[in-house]
Amino acid sequence: MNMQQYNISDNNFEQCIKCTVCTVYCPVVPVNPNYPGPKQAGPDGERLRLKRGEFFDEALKYCLNCKRCEVACPSNVRIGDIIQLARIRYSKSKPSLRDMMLANTDIVGSISSTFAPVVNTAVALKPVKSVMDGILKIDKHRTFPKYASQTFESWFKKSAQPQQDSFKNHVSFFHGCYINYNYPQLGKDLVKVMNAIGYGVHLLENEKCCGVALISNGLIKQAKKQAKINVAAIRKSVKEENRPVIAASSTCTFTMRDEYPHLLEIENDDIRDSIELATRFIYRLIESGKVKIKYRDAAKTRIAYHTPCHMEKLGWGFYSIDMLRNIPHVDLVVLDSQCCGISGTYGFKKENYKTSQGIGSSLFKQIENSAADFIATDCETCKWQIEMSTPYKVKHPISILAESIDFEATRDLNK
Amino acid sequence: MKFDTVIIGGGLAGLTCGIRLQNRGFKCAIVSAGQSALHFSSGSFDLLNELPDRTPVTNPEEAVGALSKEHPYTKLGTQFSFYAQEAKRLLTDSGIQVEGNSKCNTYRITPMGTTIPTWLTLADFATLKKNDEVIGKKILLANVAGFLDFNTKFVADAFEQKGAECKIISVSLPEFKRLRQSPTEMRSANIARVMENEGTLNSLLSILTDNAKGFDAIALPAVFGLSSDEPVKFIKEKSGIPVYLIPTMPPSVPGIRTQQRLRRTFELAGGFFMLGDNVEKADIGDGVVYNIYTTNHGDIALQADNFILASGSFFSNGLHACMDGVSEPVFGADVDFDANRNTWYNTFVFESQKYRTFGVATDEQFRIKINGKTQKNVYAIGSILSGFDALQEGCGAGVSLLTALYVADNLKK
Amino acid sequence: MNLSSKNNEFDIIIIGGGITGAGTARDCSLRGMRVLLIERFDFAAGATGRNHGLLHSGARYAVTDKESASECIKENMILRKIARHCVEENDGLFISLPEDDINFQSKFVESCQAAGIDAQIIDPAEARRLEPSVNPNLIGAVKVPDGSVDPFRLTLANIIDAKAHGAKVLIYHEVVGLIQEQGRIIGVKVLDHKKKETANYYAPLTINAAGIWGHGIAEMAGIKIGMYPAKGSLLIFGHRVNNIVLNRCRKPADADILVPGDTICLIGTTSSHVGFDEIDDMKVTSEEVDLLLREGKKLAPSLATTRILRAYAGVRPLVAADDNPSGRNISRGIVLLDHETRDGIAGFATITGGKLMTYRLMAEKATDLACRKLGIDKPCVTMNEPLPGSRNEEEIPQKKTYHLSDRIKRSTVGRHGDMASRIASENEFNNSLVCECEDVSVGEVEYALGELDIHNLEDLRRRTRVGMGTCQGELCACRAAGFLSEAHNCTQQAKNDLARFLNERWKGMYPVAWGEALRESEYTQWVYSGVCGMNKMEEK
Repeated sequence: MNMQQYNISDNNFEQCIKCTVCTVYCPVVPVNPNYPGPKQAGPDGERLRLKRGEFFDEALKYCLNCKRCEVACPSNVRIGDIIQLARIRYSKSKPSLRDMMLANTDIVGSISSTFAPVVNTAVALKPVKSVMDGILKIDKHRTFPKYASQTFESWFKKSAQPQQDSFKNHVSFFHGCYINYNYPQLGKDLVKVMNAIGYGVHLLENEKCCGVALISNGLIKQAKKQAKINVAAIRKSVKEENRPVIAASSTCTFTMRDEYPHLLEIENDDIRDSIELATRFIYRLIESGKVKIKYRDAAKTRIAYHTPCHMEKLGWGFYSIDMLRNIPHVDLVVLDSQCCGISGTYGFKKENYKTSQGIGSSLFKQIENSAADFIATDCETCKWQIEMSTPYKVKHPISILAESIDFEATRDLNK
Repeated sequence: MKFDTVIIGGGLAGLTCGIRLQNRGFKCAIVSAGQSALHFSSGSFDLLNELPDRTPVTNPEEAVGALSKEHPYTKLGTQFSFYAQEAKRLLTDSGIQVEGNSKCNTYRITPMGTTIPTWLTLADFATLKKNDEVIGKKILLANVAGFLDFNTKFVADAFEQKGAECKIISVSLPEFKRLRQSPTEMRSANIARVMENEGTLNSLLSILTDNAKGFDAIALPAVFGLSSDEPVKFIKEKSGIPVYLIPTMPPSVPGIRTQQRLRRTFELAGGFFMLGDNVEKADIGDGVVYNIYTTNHGDIALQADNFILASGSFFSNGLHACMDGVSEPVFGADVDFDANRNTWYNTFVFESQKYRTFGVATDEQFRIKINGKTQKNVYAIGSILSGFDALQEGCGAGVSLLTALYVADNLKK
Repeated sequence: MNLSSKNNEFDIIIIGGGITGAGTARDCSLRGMRVLLIERFDFAAGATGRNHGLLHSGARYAVTDKESASECIKENMILRKIARHCVEENDGLFISLPEDDINFQSKFVESCQAAGIDAQIIDPAEARRLEPSVNPNLIGAVKVPDGSVDPFRLTLANIIDAKAHGAKVLIYHEVVGLIQEQGRIIGVKVLDHKKKETANYYAPLTINAAGIWGHGIAEMAGIKIGMYPAKGSLLIFGHRVNNIVLNRCRKPADADILVPGDTICLIGTTSSHVGFDEIDDMKVTSEEVDLLLREGKKLAPSLATTRILRAYAGVRPLVAADDNPSGRNISRGIVLLDHETRDGIAGFATITGGKLMTYRLMAEKATDLACRKLGIDKPCVTMNEPLPGSRNEEEIPQKKTYHLSDRIKRSTVGRHGDMASRIASENEFNNSLVCECEDVSVGEVEYALGELDIHNLEDLRRRTRVGMGTCQGELCACRAAGFLSEAHNCTQQAKNDLARFLNERWKGMYPVAWGEALRESEYTQWVYSGVCGMNKMEEK
């Protein structure tokens, strides 16, 4: 062992030199005085927790896990991971019924989809909203995302699957809960784009919710269980079927690549590089000249791109931005990267509503000053938050691409 | 990914270089491992305050000739003053208002209330002509109650030693109630965020004007103007008497604003800024670097004609010290350092420290070497360079700005 | 008893504000004496604050020095009772590595048991489970009741109680002469370092409890004590690597104890003879640092990759067998010298040798002597009487409020025990943190400045841990200097003191300034020299 070559140990918090930069970029600190801030909750607190676990502070639950502290940190301290791991290790508080419901996006989703019209109407009704507000502590200001009456999976199996084997190249698609239950259209757009560039799309043999909401609500056992299922399915797709896995959601992608090993201790070294966002997958093909795209003629559209927190952490905003910039009729403005405040299920909770809106306020201002026709972003929860908090409509870059390509011409170019 | 130039490091040197190159038509990307040292800036940019033998400098342009040939300034040759002027222009063009010139050092006020020489100072602060000058005869000093990173007494004491009369007030506004509830987050940047609100500024203003009768200057901590300089202008314009900000302990609000301005200027000029990413390896050929690979982009290489290393000194991780040596982690570039650890330090903390003069070895054009071999397309700029002690000589910002511009201008497509 | 009303006359003068002096002052005042304690710097500024902070079980000495060993275990049990808030009951492991003689283990355990130390051989696997940081290659382990003790808290608690019982305490006062009359010491001449004035104080008995500096004190009376200044260097790591004290199961040697204490852990020590001219300015050499690391990583391999906060050295006040001041096997036992019987100089005694651990016993022996000399017949009660801070159970809030202030309360109670009730925490202002690494609040700083004899930031650090954390003063020193300036109403002095404090921090950092420690140092220098211009500040 080369002594003291790197003297930071496994406890990465020791790289912290107390420069305070993380506190500047934490979106929670300015709006919630009960949150100790990333420096205290992270490296400073970790040192005390190593002294005795009882120095753990339940207020760490106010962390959004947006990882903006990590992106800002000049010392590469995994501040967000330190905070989340401390919650996993030390927290004694039990998740409530509400937290369980919000966290179990797929179970709740599959029930709701079956009864979509009823659920959609019900959750929009005032009396139901006040019950949710009063008993479940789900804030009444929240508009619940609508459940689709046909899930993406059932659409896919019925209408798309039969054609997929005819392509030369193949990918597996991790659609996630949102596309499946709430917005199958994005999944359909993705299949359309991939098919146009010569790729057949397949479902994973078995897909569970990525577990991000389970992690943030402290349901670690269940998160691990689901992660194991996903990793096994992805491994099968990558190793046996030779199909890389793409996704549309920046959060699902980030969770499966980085939170699985860092927070859930589930090794994914062998397949991590084969899980990526569709935008990055397509960028790689275009850059290497393997794929060409023919765009339709369309009227000039001004689009403002919002970089979701986990996209910022992935560092992959570049691919979405590049994709949108290459569309001839798109005039793209990139908004300053800021948290929208929703952070998955966080903003749905009654006690967080004010904090959540406070965090987003400066992004909303930016959006309103952007003079854009609509907003583009890669995260479903950012979409809810922005659509609820501003008059703007939000689209996913893949949907924008799907609308912009000349499908037939592109398909012919990539045959 | 293909770029003309990839810059590693998004601080003062990297951004300056990137802006200049974008303006010259080069397509650039900056890879920055987190936020930069501008976040701890004093709000002034030093050019040269002292020679290594501790002789004070009043005219940097004249004094620069006395520096050794290892000093980065010496490599600029006769173009030192040209680039000093260009640097000031670049800052101004980026919306960063500064005062000062490279022929005569001015003085800035420190958080201790003392004055020390400097080159350019942000318009937020006072620029003094002489060391013993004070900002007024009767000065009102105000602090936000409970803000521990600024000490009005330290400042007042120093002003009084120079003959001024001072009054200290502590301002307690209801708008800060929420922030004050947190035991740690009453920090400059968080206060500045509350100060972005015009209502807060107006409440503050009325307290200041009530207390400032008979005073000829107001001094406030630099907790104004995080995302734009509007709050600074507002408070300066509406007060009726001159208002000067005094730097606080980190984080530096004007420094953060400067960083964000430079980044925006770079991005508006078409550059791509990749924050929170680290270079993990490079494809190095025979005296040439072809690609670099980062943590976030994995197998997708960043390819460029030229690479610029602007990753800072030790605390920015541009240089890495271990028990028996100093290395440069990105390219493994050759580093000038003394192998005997016992020589690295002066036992008195405020003396010149030899370790601070360590840095990447470069040729006359600031090109790095790897195992003694000059890399034709890799340059180093800013505080990663060897041959100077930025703190003792007071030349850190100057070296960053001037070497950045020099390298940018001499790059060929 | 002498009831003189003169304010420069006392029953007993104690020289030295280390743990021995503080403990003796407490014992003497509890037995009704009018005590004057004189310290040239601050409490615990010498060897007291410069050791492992190990609450020895005595096991370390069991084989070589049975008397010390049994003293240790007795005092160990007493301190757990009377100084709860200064002690961490961590337990200790004596491990045998493949390079060690495993046969030593049985001899070791026998000796421990003979000295009354509960030593149990445990399975190496069990040792790894109990202390995951331990060298996994260990071949044997013995569990003993070691622990940690905070020397600053312990000294302070003794001082607080001595003062509560009427003792007068002068810090930053140096004894510059002993006043002799007809072959006896009747008082001391004292220089007040702050006011630069000298004054005389009188007492029928003066006790020299000045540790290694006691050598010089005795010389003032023309007495020679054969002291042997033995330097010991230690390294402090950034966080607690271990939670159980780790020792090597072999004869005591260099760098074979790793002690967890509060937020950090420390490895030590080296042992080398130094001259008396060096004892005021101990420097840790790079060879010592290398040795400590090399040996330390054998106890806990992760030390090789753990951030080091600082290095420091202390001087043990070992007393050689008279006229033979050499050799390594000098007893670390307690030495009480009655100079009347030993040297024919009455009114003067020296208490030295011993250890931090056995300070109470040393104090008891010295006070017993004082009682005999002064004709006082009162028994010692310090073995039963809890120290201030350890008298009551201080309540710690039960995390219902989800607020950082709960954690801060826990930290203050950890440092001050029941005295924490004197720390204001009722509003947001006094709950703000001055030191973010160690959770030191404005309230705690103000309590310390108001009640705990603080002259400068160094004193404040010893009372509260301000500046002892990872940043070594980078964020907190300036804030703390602000409160110091407020308390003493002297801004210039506070600024000068800030500069001295940062320099003192640097002194411990530069011997280990590479990696993260160098990054931290460069950043600190950037802030204080670059932004604050303190490198250009002349001391006024």
